[in-house]
Amino acid sequence: MMLLLPLLIPILGAGILLGFGAHGRARLLALVVGGVEIVAILRVVLTVYSSGPVQFGRFLRADGLSAFFLLNIAVISGLALVYSLDYLRHVEGQRFSSARWFYTLLFFFVFTMIGVCLSANLGLLWIMMEATTLASALLVGFYNTRGAIEAGWKYLIVCTVGIAFALFGTIVLYLAAIKSGLSPAVALDWTALMAAPRLGSEVALLKLAFVFVIVGYGTKVGFVPMHSWLPDAHAEAPSPISALLSGVLLNCAMYTLLRYDAIVSRAIGATFSHTLLLIFGVLSLVVAGLLIVVQRDLKRMLAYSSVEHMGIVAIGIGLGGPLGLYGALLHTFNHSLGKTLLFFAAGNVRENFGTLRMDRIGGLARSLPKTALALTLGSLAIVGLPPFALFVSEFAILSEAFAQSRIWVATLFLATLSVVFGGMFHHLSGMFYRDMQQSPAAKRLALSEAVPIAIIAVGLTWFGVHVPAAFKGLIERAMAVL
Amino acid sequence: MDIVQLAAGKTLSSSAVFLLLTVLLLAAARRVSTSIILFGLQSAIITAQVMATAYTEKSAEAWVVAGMVFALKVVAIPSALLWLVKRLKSPRAVQPAISGAKAVFVAAFMIFLSYAVVQPYAREASVPQDALAAAVALILTGAFLMVNRRKALMQIVGLLVLENGIFLAALTTTFGMPLIVEIGVFFDLLMGILIMGVFAFRIRDTFDHLDVTKLRRLRG
Repeated sequence: MMLLLPLLIPILGAGILLGFGAHGRARLLALVVGGVEIVAILRVVLTVYSSGPVQFGRFLRADGLSAFFLLNIAVISGLALVYSLDYLRHVEGQRFSSARWFYTLLFFFVFTMIGVCLSANLGLLWIMMEATTLASALLVGFYNTRGAIEAGWKYLIVCTVGIAFALFGTIVLYLAAIKSGLSPAVALDWTALMAAPRLGSEVALLKLAFVFVIVGYGTKVGFVPMHSWLPDAHAEAPSPISALLSGVLLNCAMYTLLRYDAIVSRAIGATFSHTLLLIFGVLSLVVAGLLIVVQRDLKRMLAYSSVEHMGIVAIGIGLGGPLGLYGALLHTFNHSLGKTLLFFAAGNVRENFGTLRMDRIGGLARSLPKTALALTLGSLAIVGLPPFALFVSEFAILSEAFAQSRIWVATLFLATLSVVFGGMFHHLSGMFYRDMQQSPAAKRLALSEAVPIAIIAVGLTWFGVHVPAAFKGLIERAMAVL
Repeated sequence: MDIVQLAAGKTLSSSAVFLLLTVLLLAAARRVSTSIILFGLQSAIITAQVMATAYTEKSAEAWVVAGMVFALKVVAIPSALLWLVKRLKSPRAVQPAISGAKAVFVAAFMIFLSYAVVQPYAREASVPQDALAAAVALILTGAFLMVNRRKALMQIVGLLVLENGIFLAALTTTFGMPLIVEIGVFFDLLMGILIMGVFAFRIRDTFDHLDVTKLRRLRG
């Protein structure tokens, strides 16, 4: 029952918002529903943390790994909800493009991502993963401009095709499970697959399944070369949604890959799946890192940075070992914090300058000092400088690479990070100090926009100086699942 | 073995031939509405295969799946798409990037390729080779239709054909996934078509055309 609540609340909330969300009540309702939802999620996380996995029926299950990603969803979607309160004030109420629709779709989106984390069955996991695309496509196209519609269509088509490959992979895994003697009723259940004694005999089928799954769900993670939807969708979506896409959706997709990686590694050894993850990871890191330098749109640059960081996470998982996996998990959380901060700051820039083209933005340091500070902090954190949180996780992954003497991975990693560092600060300094004929009259930064940014900034520094013991405990429980 | 049992057993492999025929026709189709009707036909063949499986495996779940395939893919989705074509009033020709004759050659090559690809698996897993090859051919053709045709609606049809192929692959190798999973997949498919329909209207209203190759503002 406890597991059902985090799924029911957003669905009911979406229904209530759709029914009664007109006439400016949408924000208040959304805040109430969101608050209740966060409490429900935290309850699940705390229970798993203190007394181990929770099961509800045959299809819902929460263990350490799901709890870790659930916490991620709760934190980021809560912040995005608060940030969106004032951000949406200038949205005129077209069909599908009013505050009411925004929050309705937002709660559907949250529902699907929680469903991903709570699925005990890989079929249900696929259904929920496809539903994340459907729920967020209309949010990507929310502004109804030419760019937004193009991005939404591309997102819908590319991700649906990608996910179709993941369905094929799921079917192949199902076939392997049945051939190894599992009964059809439980052949897609995570617990049964992890405990299956003879799954390892189906080497060819398992490899085939993992290839399709990593291409399929990898499309949602944004691995190069399946990343083409990602910069468009992130750049054209409203900023709170960009933060959710980058901070939570990509992590959810990574979570599914972690599950499949664990099953395949346990059955036939880790070499095959980890090598694939390393290849996709390094490719994403290097290509996205180089593309950051040539971007002209602020949010596109941030989107490519997300691809780069998903590459880093994949490298961490691919290297394996306690330090690599620890670093990868910590990095998913840290990256979601840092990128959310940056997308919120980019939202402020867009509100004031009416554009995100970096060459048309100037004098930011003088006209919007707070936003400039947030951008600086966020960028320092995202390129992995101490004392911010991403330094800790990147350092862990890098140490693992050196410990396994994978010099090539470590070298490419470090080289890309320095290229990204140079690229991002070149763009930022242009925006900060370029002379502009007329600076826009700076609007006051609303409290609901300033507070989430401040919270994240504090969190990034805190996690950089010291990862709390309870949080470490949560990661250890997540690693124990794998 | 009575005659019905025999007929059911033969349906799986012989209907693969008809599926391959729809693949070739789809590649040559000149109109969006023709492609949609071909998709409906294809789904009807797959319904027959599900029913044959239900009969030979004596599975009640498979009968439910057959009903859903029929209701959704033979009736609901094709009629919804035909309605869309009418409402959108877009020019009817599909405007392929590669001409019809060449496209048929590509499709034929894909069928050939499918047989080559599935041969080792079919021998090992003792599944009907024709059906499995047809499944792979559907997946490939679906992907081909999506890249070859410029119309937003044709991309939807390509996606549906691709999904048909995956469904058929599941059916021939494992007699389908558990019922609850199938229902969820169908639900996603339905929602997906709905949202793509919304986007098709928006593309038409904002761009005054449905040619997705002209959607190229976002680059790099």
